[in-house]
Amino acid sequence: MKFFRAVIGAALLVACIDQTASAATGNVLFNGTITATCTITINSNGTMTVSTNLQSLSSHNAGGSAGSAQVDTTGGVTLSVDPVTTTTVPASDVTATTWTPTFATSGAQTIAETGTATALTVPGTSTVAVNLAGTKGGSNRFSAGNYQATVTLRCE
Amino acid sequence: MKKVGILAAVLAIALSPLAATGQSMTPMRGEVRSFTDAFAVRVFPGNPYDQRIRVEVHVYDQDFQPVAARITPSAFLLAGQASRPVLVVVPFDGATERKVRICTESIPFPSEQTQIRAQICGKFFGHRRS
Repeated sequence: MKFFRAVIGAALLVACIDQTASAATGNVLFNGTITATCTITINSNGTMTVSTNLQSLSSHNAGGSAGSAQVDTTGGVTLSVDPVTTTTVPASDVTATTWTPTFATSGAQTIAETGTATALTVPGTSTVAVNLAGTKGGSNRFSAGNYQATVTLRCE
Repeated sequence: MKKVGILAAVLAIALSPLAATGQSMTPMRGEVRSFTDAFAVRVFPGNPYDQRIRVEVHVYDQDFQPVAARITPSAFLLAGQASRPVLVVVPFDGATERKVRICTESIPFPSEQTQIRAQICGKFFGHRRS
């Protein structure tokens, strides 16, 4: 009986030796969609100084400085500045001022100074320099006191 | 010449850098189909700073004219590094489709002055289905 059992066991083992294990493979797909994103971080505001002829109040003048902002984007967005509408001038200044905001970028994408909307196509971080110039024509002059103007930097 | 120098100094001091704000917003693009006379978009303004900022959300048309949309909430304080959902419901006003800009704007605190206002605008397209 013992011998019979051993024979049966051996026979089963031999029968199983040649069986291949069945396996299957499958692909798991991953999809991701990145839509345009934009983050603006204001680093510093600008400083405007007056020109020697008192007809220009600008961040481009000697002693002035551009405002600075950081833009992080995936690309596919547009950067622009709005016309200046919010200003504070001294009471003694009663003449008209023409305000011209401009911007330029460096870093991931370089944009020469411009006042028109410009596409940011390169993903990454760009540093934006925002300038503002106020000018008076004819015999008009800037007067002593506090001036303030707000520039809207838009990413869309 | 001396007066010019004094004037320049006064202006430079008056316009010296002060506290500033900025932000982000997602999503910035979207297309919505609606079976009602309005379509809804949920946006998430974000605050990239470590300190809280005041944020306002506005809706404009393609010419940057204000749109009478329902914005909930339209103005709020946002903690540093945080974002929160804002629901915007835009009426079709009888049209079958409407393109709008939803903009997140930084609002300076009353005691502070800001010379650069950051504005993030998303473009959204609503289609009305009958």
